[in-house]
Amino acid sequence: MKTAKRLFEDVVNYRKYIVYGAKIGLQAEVTNAYLDWLWWILEPVCSMLVYYLIFGIVFKVSEPYFLVFIYSALTMWGFFNRTVNLSVKLIKSSKGIITKVYIPKPVLLISKMLIYAFKMLISSIIVVVLMIPYRVPVDWHLIQIIPVLLVFFIFCYGCACYLMHIGVFIEDMSYVVNIVLNVLFYFTGIFYSVSKRFPEPYGYFVEDINPLAFLIAQLRNALLNESIVYYKGLLIWFVLSIVIAISGTKLVYKNENSYVKVI
Amino acid sequence: MEDIAIEVKNLCIDYRPLKNLPSIKSLFKEKSEKVKIVHAVRDVSFNVKRGEILGVIGKNGSGKSTMLRAMAGIFQPDEGSIDLKGNTISLMSIGVGFNPDVSGLKNIILSGMLLGLSEQEMIEKTPEIIEFAEIGDFIDMPVRTYSSGMHSKLAFAITANLETDIMLVDEVLSVGDERFKKKSREKMKSLINDKSRTVIMVSHDMNTMMQLCDRILWLHDGEIKEIGDTEKTISDYKNFMNA
Repeated sequence: MKTAKRLFEDVVNYRKYIVYGAKIGLQAEVTNAYLDWLWWILEPVCSMLVYYLIFGIVFKVSEPYFLVFIYSALTMWGFFNRTVNLSVKLIKSSKGIITKVYIPKPVLLISKMLIYAFKMLISSIIVVVLMIPYRVPVDWHLIQIIPVLLVFFIFCYGCACYLMHIGVFIEDMSYVVNIVLNVLFYFTGIFYSVSKRFPEPYGYFVEDINPLAFLIAQLRNALLNESIVYYKGLLIWFVLSIVIAISGTKLVYKNENSYVKVI
Repeated sequence: MEDIAIEVKNLCIDYRPLKNLPSIKSLFKEKSEKVKIVHAVRDVSFNVKRGEILGVIGKNGSGKSTMLRAMAGIFQPDEGSIDLKGNTISLMSIGVGFNPDVSGLKNIILSGMLLGLSEQEMIEKTPEIIEFAEIGDFIDMPVRTYSSGMHSKLAFAITANLETDIMLVDEVLSVGDERFKKKSREKMKSLINDKSRTVIMVSHDMNTMMQLCDRILWLHDGEIKEIGDTEKTISDYKNFMNA
């Protein structure tokens, strides 16, 4: 509880820094690119087309609304992937700031995650655009993406806290993370449905124990299948994510003073 | 009763080299090296009065910068305490954390926010900072295009204009060209002349220290070797270093 309170206070106290830091972070990224923020859309769109070509046409995987099916998962994956890659190196790459002034490290992380969340928002415009030609029916089921995304962000934040901490002390971590991300990418069912493709009875099992696969499947339920999100599972992952996030934050708070001494 | 701005009691700061984590290399080594703890600051206690200028001297690696960082809250002491009596504090050292890809102007605002000021307050202060930093049109260019002199001038200008109650100055008076050096020394003097401002400065430039400081703290291997009168401490230090 104490950790949650401290985190809350820090976020409130540094809210202006979080927002401003994210704002100039976004600006810094686009100022030198010709196509500016269009890249945030072009990048996932291009990978979507690649997966569509390979899996939809060559391997003949077929899911309803296949392009939206891939794209929605890709935007979520993109956020997770960026957050994880960033957090491993976050402390070292922020050396310039953290050796000069005290800043709660979770604040640093949240500011960066805000950048990625904004990018995710921009690239989800395409989801809407894609839904029109497919005539995906739109009704109240769509609201369910809010709790799904909430759990998703908490989960990402929690993982990032742990990785941020480990990344300071273990140099090899970024290699390990690359491999794990690669494996996870294929098991998460970005371009296929985990629950349908894995042989019975493992499909739902594999989907439910992998939080990313689970959350992506639930997002698709809300977005495409007009069905109810599996709330019992979502609640379990919500609780687990909170536990990961709080314990990760606690770990970071406990050790943040030694980070400066190490880097 | 004396008005004390900072109270440092039994301050100890250790650096622990990374715990020897298992690695391929260590498999082949016969003995694992013992973890050496470096005591950067050992049992240091002193008080600084409001409005006082305390100079900190000592050879390289004697724990001066470490002590300032601990005072700025960048890391917590391993033992002992630092009581700032509710004063605001800023550490002035070469190069605040700039984001190299955004303009100097935005970096000024960001730095201010890191030190707890609002965007509005910073926007009010920016003309002053820009003028002081003398970097002209470069203020709208990304910081990565700056020369090292411009970089440190901007850093100095920011911290010098933030006007916190306590200023920790870590070897920044030797920034920039002759003219800027003179200017920054003047600025320091005017900041220092403000009787409510407490300054702790680290420098190897004994002449400046002699001119500016009310008292000198001499750190040697993390311990206080001498604290007191400026002239006496500096001459003792000089004798010691030349011996």
